[in-house]
Amino acid sequence: MLFSSILFMFYFLPIVLLVYYISPKPLKNPVLLISSLVFYGWGEPRYVFLMIGTILVGYIFGLLIYKYRGRALSKILTGLSVVAQLSALIYFKYADFFISNFNMTTGLSVPLLKLVLPIGISFYTFQILSYTVDVYRGDVMPQKNIINLATYVSLFPQLIAGPIVRYSHIEAQLTKREHSFSKISDGIRRFVIGFGKKILIANTLGELCEAILAFKGQSVLMYWLYAVSFMLQIYFDFSGYSDMAIGLGKFFGFEFMENFSYPLISKSITEFWRRWHISLGSWFRDYVYIPLGGNRVKRGRLLFNIFVVWFLTGFWHGAQWNFIVWGLCFGILLTLEKFFYIKKLDKHKIFGHIYVMFFVIVSFAIFSGNNMGDAICRVKGMFGFNNVPFISQETVYSIKNFGVVILLASLGATPLPKRAVNLLKSKLGNNAVYDVLEIIVTAAILFVSVAYLADGSFNPFLYFRF
Amino acid sequence: MKHKNIITVLIFAFLLFGTSAVCFVKTPSLISESERRELKQKPKLTIAALASGQYMKDFEEYTVDQFPKRDLLRSVKAVFSTRVFMKKDNNGYYFANGHISKLEYPLNPYMLDNAEEKFIFLYDSFLKNTDTNIYLSVIPDKNYFLAKENGYLSMDYDVFLRDFKDRFEFMNYIDVSSLLTIDDYYTTDSHWKQECIFKVAKKLSDVMGTPLSEENEIKTLDNEFKGVYLSQSALPFKGDTIRYVTNKHIDNAKVTYVDDMGMKKEGSMYDFEKAKGNDPYEMFLSGTQALITIENPYAKSDKELVVFRDSYGSSLVPLLTSGYKKITVVDIRYIQKDFVGAFVKFDKQDVLFMYSTTLLNSSTAFK
Repeated sequence: MLFSSILFMFYFLPIVLLVYYISPKPLKNPVLLISSLVFYGWGEPRYVFLMIGTILVGYIFGLLIYKYRGRALSKILTGLSVVAQLSALIYFKYADFFISNFNMTTGLSVPLLKLVLPIGISFYTFQILSYTVDVYRGDVMPQKNIINLATYVSLFPQLIAGPIVRYSHIEAQLTKREHSFSKISDGIRRFVIGFGKKILIANTLGELCEAILAFKGQSVLMYWLYAVSFMLQIYFDFSGYSDMAIGLGKFFGFEFMENFSYPLISKSITEFWRRWHISLGSWFRDYVYIPLGGNRVKRGRLLFNIFVVWFLTGFWHGAQWNFIVWGLCFGILLTLEKFFYIKKLDKHKIFGHIYVMFFVIVSFAIFSGNNMGDAICRVKGMFGFNNVPFISQETVYSIKNFGVVILLASLGATPLPKRAVNLLKSKLGNNAVYDVLEIIVTAAILFVSVAYLADGSFNPFLYFRF
Repeated sequence: MKHKNIITVLIFAFLLFGTSAVCFVKTPSLISESERRELKQKPKLTIAALASGQYMKDFEEYTVDQFPKRDLLRSVKAVFSTRVFMKKDNNGYYFANGHISKLEYPLNPYMLDNAEEKFIFLYDSFLKNTDTNIYLSVIPDKNYFLAKENGYLSMDYDVFLRDFKDRFEFMNYIDVSSLLTIDDYYTTDSHWKQECIFKVAKKLSDVMGTPLSEENEIKTLDNEFKGVYLSQSALPFKGDTIRYVTNKHIDNAKVTYVDDMGMKKEGSMYDFEKAKGNDPYEMFLSGTQALITIENPYAKSDKELVVFRDSYGSSLVPLLTSGYKKITVVDIRYIQKDFVGAFVKFDKQDVLFMYSTTLLNSSTAFK
């Protein structure tokens, strides 16, 4: 089930909100849990049991790890829990990757398993992993109430597209959280903004990307147009989903962490990854990089640690070599910045911004490939190595057709709209005009977005690899 | 504003729960008149459908199809897309020079190959070594006039027409594209206007050597014609007016409709019941029909004509009635090409293949 759907907005959500708010406090988490299982099972009827199994395994291990804390057994149990939790992820997501690479290397023809990837498995696996490791570290107490733990793992606002919510961030909120008009009102604004970002901007850019791929006549400019549009589509889709998740969380009294902070205004790749998919970056930092020793090691080991983190970051995004290369490219850039020129980038902001945009756009061309060969073809095309003209009829038409959306998206990816709103607010002072305008604009975004949904037009789900 | 948060929540709750309530209690509609299709109904809940996920997929389509005020919302989306986002087209439909049209791009050579294969099959199977005169005419779609001039993606029609014509040595090509302008087409539909294509009928009849009656009367239908492009595009636009031609040949012709199982039904040149339906253009020769025979008791010659055609032929063929004793109209989208010979005896007729560029560019419709 997608947030950006008639089904979710006008069938699922109203029922869940109604039942949640009429339920007494002890039943609120069970209501959320059942709703989340229905939400997940709606799209994945078979795999809901896999998620339940993952939760049960995490629950049992959490209790056992805590029971034997301070002893070697606790460490062994933590290791086993990591293996157990990752097994399902590795099996469903990476088995065919390993088999096909094995076949390529050995010349054998081991048949592929062709498994359907359970949606959201990358997200909920990382969540339950963070729980068991945090219990081992002593950062959190094990959750004795399995309903509460299951609610945390399966919570539908962030289940299928993040943000990756740490148990430590949400532990207290599972048993005590505030429900207020102020919070719900914030949640509404946040949700509607995310709704609009996904439906109005991301989906429209997605149409452009699909159209470009269907064109027979490619050009150098078309490759760049595709890469830029794809990058913006991913940003608005992903950050829009995160906004919706945060907004929905507020409806139920939860405060989730921010997942995006205007990454496209960054002046270094280091800064970019502090602003892009923050929950994933911080997860890898806390559960892979730091346990490996972080940067408090010798240079050789540091390079190894960076390599592992960025290999895994790329690999997490998809079981294909182009995702791994995408991750490693960022690893290389980050390393170079760290050792050689991060301070120069901080001093020369405009150059830094151009540098980031260049590499991020090219990286998304790699990311967008169906495989490594396709990714290389797209990058070659961007630099004129595919024997295509610089410009074509299709390129001109695409720019004319989608130019305004691309421009709006580019502006929308900066803090400018927010600053403009704040300026307006300060000019209008403390009176009702701004508040009324805000309500009208929020309702208008919602109305137009629903109009797009009712049209039944292009509405892709991008997170099928996760 | 005092109580801003409460007001925001109440407004949102009203919109959310109010719309939701309407979704639940609304009686499902069976068809969409504007989109000219059946709407998804609530799927049947079975264990098998639930387990496979098919129920969920069908239910989701149902929620979109049955959403209240869907036509209004589609128009909102179309207007927002074209006026705020300044998109040149909405789902492939665009507005130019007072017309709504649909992008037809790119040129699909393998579709032309498919059409060529079908025509050659018909020739080899039924027309070769018969005493028939075979003609080909290709009708340009609206994009021929609108697309390139207005900066939309456009096929190279000159290449299209030249290439297609050159594939058939056994056919005499009759060019009609130079006779036509965009004003000869409905503003909201893909088709041409019958009252504007006398010149096409005359050119065809001149080449085929058959004079036509010039005593024609043009009548007007009362109801507004909202063409297929208007409904599909959801753009706010005024509809067209359908005018139709009558003369003694058209009014007195014996028209017989034959389906692909050979079942016959007597009818008339114009179906005025269909003129009041979802697609009034279907009034011409009753819309999609596998095979039609038109016998003209007032014909001055014994000449016969067989027309292989698409929907553009529906409005053109009546104008040729006066020139022939019998016209057989065949639509190989609705009758297997292999069985044409069972319905039509080819001997000494004029045979006209008349198709639009739109159909030829997506000729998988041919059986």
